[in-house]
Amino acid sequence: MLRLSGVEVRFGGTRALDGLDLVVEAGERVAVIGPSGAGKSTLIGLANGSVRPTAGSVEVLGSDPATLSGADARRLRARVGTVHQHLELVGPLRVVHNVNAGRIGSWPAWRSAWSLLRPQGVPEVAAALRDVGLEVRMHERTDRLSGGQQQRVAVARVLVQRPDLVLADEPASALDPVLTDRTMTLLTGVAAEGGGSALVSLHDPALALRHCSRVVGLVDGRVELDAPVQALTLADLTAFYAGDG
Amino acid sequence: MTAVVDPPRAPPALRRSRARWAWGVGASVLVLWSLAGAGLFSGDVLNPAGTRQLARFADGALAPDLSGEFREVLLGSTLVTIAYAALGTAVAVLVGAVGAIPLARTTWGRRRGGWLVARGVVAVPRGLHEVVWGLLLLNVLGLDPWVGVLAIGVPYGAVTATVFADLLDEVPRGAHDALLAAGAGRGAAALYGLLPQAAGGLLAYSFYRLECAVRSAVVLGLIGAGGLGYQLSLSFTSLRWDQVWSCVYALTALCVAAVVAGRAVRRRLADPPPAGGDRPRRDVVLAGAGLATVSLVVWSWWYLAVTPAALLADRTREQLSYLLGEAWPPRLSGPLLSSAGRAAVDTVQMSVIAVALATAGAVLLSGVAVRPAHRARPVAWLAGAVVRLGLLLLRAVPPPVWALVLLFVLRPGILPGALALGVYTLGVLGRLTAETLEELEPRPAAALTALGAGPAATWLYGVAPRAVGPVLAHALHRWEVAIRDTVLVGLLGAGGLGALLATALQTFDWPAVTTTLVVLVLLTLAVDLVGDRARDALR
Repeated sequence: MLRLSGVEVRFGGTRALDGLDLVVEAGERVAVIGPSGAGKSTLIGLANGSVRPTAGSVEVLGSDPATLSGADARRLRARVGTVHQHLELVGPLRVVHNVNAGRIGSWPAWRSAWSLLRPQGVPEVAAALRDVGLEVRMHERTDRLSGGQQQRVAVARVLVQRPDLVLADEPASALDPVLTDRTMTLLTGVAAEGGGSALVSLHDPALALRHCSRVVGLVDGRVELDAPVQALTLADLTAFYAGDG
Repeated sequence: MTAVVDPPRAPPALRRSRARWAWGVGASVLVLWSLAGAGLFSGDVLNPAGTRQLARFADGALAPDLSGEFREVLLGSTLVTIAYAALGTAVAVLVGAVGAIPLARTTWGRRRGGWLVARGVVAVPRGLHEVVWGLLLLNVLGLDPWVGVLAIGVPYGAVTATVFADLLDEVPRGAHDALLAAGAGRGAAALYGLLPQAAGGLLAYSFYRLECAVRSAVVLGLIGAGGLGYQLSLSFTSLRWDQVWSCVYALTALCVAAVVAGRAVRRRLADPPPAGGDRPRRDVVLAGAGLATVSLVVWSWWYLAVTPAALLADRTREQLSYLLGEAWPPRLSGPLLSSAGRAAVDTVQMSVIAVALATAGAVLLSGVAVRPAHRARPVAWLAGAVVRLGLLLLRAVPPPVWALVLLFVLRPGILPGALALGVYTLGVLGRLTAETLEELEPRPAAALTALGAGPAATWLYGVAPRAVGPVLAHALHRWEVAIRDTVLVGLLGAGGLGALLATALQTFDWPAVTTTLVVLVLLTLAVDLVGDRARDALR
């Protein structure tokens, strides 16, 4: 699914990732934990093709995103869905269009355009919004929603996209505990549905243990912890955060 | 006990905003009505005989007159234009500083009546174009440099006073109220509590006005005030296309220089370098700019040889009282009112066509005109540079000149005027649209690209929805400006209220002049009102 070896990423003078090796197999649910600035968001950016490595090799769903262009690149990107840390929704669009935006990667341009006038595939959008509990907000402007509601719109976008690789950067930061669990279940569920995998950055260790099959801990752009959840306890992860990992 | 089952609900129906639909339909009808009024669907509007003349004119672009003799003429004209702009702005800033006092809410406090009266009074000088002021002043002062200076100073002064008042009203009140509570007088409290906080904004706006004044001074030249505009119209009427193009290049360079210098000063004001040390230090750049501006104004005073005596002369007073006596009451005869009504319709149609054309063009070009955030491919970079330069040329040349050029190939009527204004507005709106796009946060669109969206879909979902509001707001604002500018094109024969005014002025029919001016001011106010409402609906 995802294969990174010896990956280094620099932004100007700062080194975000420093010789990172990571392999994610199909069906895995990987939690990425670590202090802020450890490189979690950069790792997610590498996986969805928005960040290019300075050195090392990246393979997403069997191909290197940097070697593809045009329609091939689009086909690969359409199979990778991301809940971004800052959501990156389009504020003035209605919720239905922001959710449908998850599918414009596989739609022809005319259908995307027509959908803005007459929303396409409304039943799927309604189902995704029902899953995140926002069905009644379908036709509201997205920027009129609260932060937590917008976060759920971003999740619904990934649900209608049905990607093989689900990436999520702190997807539950603005949600209450019940909604957080539900969101994690939905995200790992949509990945499992097509036999894919999920890579989720989290700051809550308990959440990682409840929903994931494997935990990867990053410190200063390097993997410092990599273990299946069965081998870990909450105390281990808390200790990792404290810097004894 | 029965289980509570959430019944499956149908998804909520799509509700469209009625108000926005109404505005959209209204705008489309208005544009179609205007195009029909311009004869686009009926009569023949083209004048094929003029294409050869147009070709000869276009040839001049590559072979401008650069002879030593004409260079000297150009230099002299440029200096005159600069002098009018500088002195006009100086008058405007003085008027603005004094006028801001009765226009500020702070002055009146709870007594809103006085404030409303002051705002109403200032609407009249604001509603009339600089050129209209120029023609009116010409009749009072005769051929005197004061005409050009005051034609800029009066309308700019009114706008500046309003903006200064708004800036002062927007300053946080804490310091000011504390001084009042401590027993300071109202003047002293404003001087210590309001002015220091507003000073940056006031200065920045003054420099912005100076930039605009350069353009206005060129336009005033077209009606005979001297300078580059005058030289341009002379070259045009004597069919010296090579000289016309030299003038066009000179005034483009002048406008660019004014905008670049003004923007540099305003950036510095908005974002001053960090001050160090414990001694009071002055910003060298700003102090230099201030000193240069003051010496420019003094030099202009000398160069134009203006004297206060001309304003205070007996002849001026007599002429003014004679004109005021003649001009009141306005004529309200049936034929005049009906022709004023027709002219008002023409004016509205011209402005609507102009703005519709400019908006459509700006949206089409905006993608190319945007300054790329990253390194672009050479082809894209070159295309962007060419489009930006083209837009610059479009907005540097005053609309009446475009109208004269279009008259080569179009039959006289409101269409050439409308297109000329449209071309000019496109220059302005194209830049504003590109700026809007440059300021958009790029990440939502990047997120769409990351999930596989193609360029068209990314633009439709990620860029257009966020840009449409600001761009339409700019377009509405330019419509308000275009209504004033139609008068300018009209004065030179394109029809509408400007043409009516020109006829009345030529025949010294003062009551008719008053009537036309009243209709003009009312029309401007009406358009401002509609524009305000439309912007509210956009939010």
